[in-house]
Amino acid sequence: MTGNSDNILEINSIEVMYDSVISALHDVSLNVPKGKIVALLGGNGAGKSTTLKSISTMLAAERGKVTKGSIVYDGTEVKNQNPYEMVTLGMVQVLEGRRCFGHLTVEENIIAGAYSRKLSKSQIKDELEKIYGYFNRLRDRRKSQAGFTSGGEQQMIAVARAMMAKPKMLLLDEPSMGLAPQLVAEIFNIVKELNEKEGVSILLAEQNTNVALRNADYGYIIETGHVMLHGSADELLNDEKVKELYLGISKEGRKNFRDVLREEETKKLA
Amino acid sequence: MTEVLFFIEVVVAGLLAGTMYSLVALGFVLIYKASSTFNFAQGAMVFFAVLAFVGFMELGLSFPVSFVVTVLLMVLVGFCTERLVLNPLMNQSEDTLLMATIGLGFVLEGLAQAAWGVEVRRLDLGIGDFPIEWIIDVFGLFVSALDVTAGIVAAVLIIGLALLFKYTRMGLGLRAVADDPGAASSIGIPLKNIMLLVWSAAGVVALVAGMMWGARAGVQFALVDLALKALPVLIIGGFSSIPGAIIGGLIIGATEKVLEVYLGPFFGGAIEGWAPYVLAIFFLLYRPEGLFGEKIIRRV
Repeated sequence: MTGNSDNILEINSIEVMYDSVISALHDVSLNVPKGKIVALLGGNGAGKSTTLKSISTMLAAERGKVTKGSIVYDGTEVKNQNPYEMVTLGMVQVLEGRRCFGHLTVEENIIAGAYSRKLSKSQIKDELEKIYGYFNRLRDRRKSQAGFTSGGEQQMIAVARAMMAKPKMLLLDEPSMGLAPQLVAEIFNIVKELNEKEGVSILLAEQNTNVALRNADYGYIIETGHVMLHGSADELLNDEKVKELYLGISKEGRKNFRDVLREEETKKLA
Repeated sequence: MTEVLFFIEVVVAGLLAGTMYSLVALGFVLIYKASSTFNFAQGAMVFFAVLAFVGFMELGLSFPVSFVVTVLLMVLVGFCTERLVLNPLMNQSEDTLLMATIGLGFVLEGLAQAAWGVEVRRLDLGIGDFPIEWIIDVFGLFVSALDVTAGIVAAVLIIGLALLFKYTRMGLGLRAVADDPGAASSIGIPLKNIMLLVWSAAGVVALVAGMMWGARAGVQFALVDLALKALPVLIIGGFSSIPGAIIGGLIIGATEKVLEVYLGPFFGGAIEGWAPYVLAIFFLLYRPEGLFGEKIIRRV
């Protein structure tokens, strides 16, 4: 295995194909240092979710396959594992769109997260208490059917459920999706707290560039399956191009990095 | 007075016979919950299980030993189904799975007959299909001992399964998978084990249902078709609900007997064969999710 042991996750130029024909990622490389939050940014269809799913091996369920490159998680090469094995290794993904078990209660949802750990009843109780410490709002709603809770609560359930598996690394797919700004802030605060207190490393895919970079240590920007730019969160927040293209401080006509690069290219030639 | 007593008798006989439908329907519900597919092989499983049970008895094994061996055999069938049929078809559409269960049904029917032969067998559970005397004495009702036994067995099985799903780790896993298999697998619930559990449970339910039916009608190929009576039961009760399977079975049992006795003569008899399907059509028109089917929860 290559690289240094300070990274919990190393992705080396992977290519991903769906159904053996549709290419979704072309050349994505990224590192997640231990105990850090890394943001994966980009628009719809950029390849954020595909990247996360190739790490958690959820890709197989959608007939996708990593065809080139390598993924090394915590010293183990991710190849033919299934999601269950990845969870036992401490890698848990929170899927896009929350995906709570609607007919189960909030508490049952959270307990389901501990399934792979085979805990006793009293251990589960202790773990639940710890989780409710981070997600206070869920404690009041523990007996409600999850399908009837609000979008913000469902996102919290999804994160809390994943935390019950005691992950070393959490993959969050668009936690801000469809939520009001205060709720997004609340959820990111919890995520940050989990990162600091539980030491869990986090790779989060987001369209909300501003919020993501304010909470992350490092960021990668991907477009159409390529990493276009990466750097520390502060660097990216102050980068002119990022400001223009992702933070909405825009000049006319330029829509993405490809256009910017093309423009610079033509300038050089002229 | 005798009129009323006779009506009660018909209803009670219907309800008790209905528990047998409930038992078969229960097998369907278990699999539907886990893989959202209608298991066409359930009838074949009933036939396979009870034929194997009778076969082991004929080999000279005692009743309890035959029962345990058959239960183990059904777990093995569940295991092979998971390995050879479900696992390779993982992530395929529900229609593909449905077709696979039809194929599985043929395989099980063929295997059972190849192993044990095709003749109709008698299954003696030691419980006669005769009225119980003390009930005649006390209430003046003629109620079959076999019907009562079937009712009690069904009740025990159902309560057991309900407790299993509500209070055990595996049960929680199953309910999670039933809600969202993708999310369940993302948090480390192994679908394989859940499928194995469900198919084994469905196999055991099939065995019990087969024994009850076999004791009444003989262990024969017709059990496969009898199992399809579970279809109207499920339409009425809802495909995903265990209480629904029970109550659907009771409703079908009672109405078909009552209709047979009181309306049958006007149609030239034997309407219990099709009356349940007519009832099912009304349910499809007015309450397609069934009485207890889980409505899809949508936030608005």
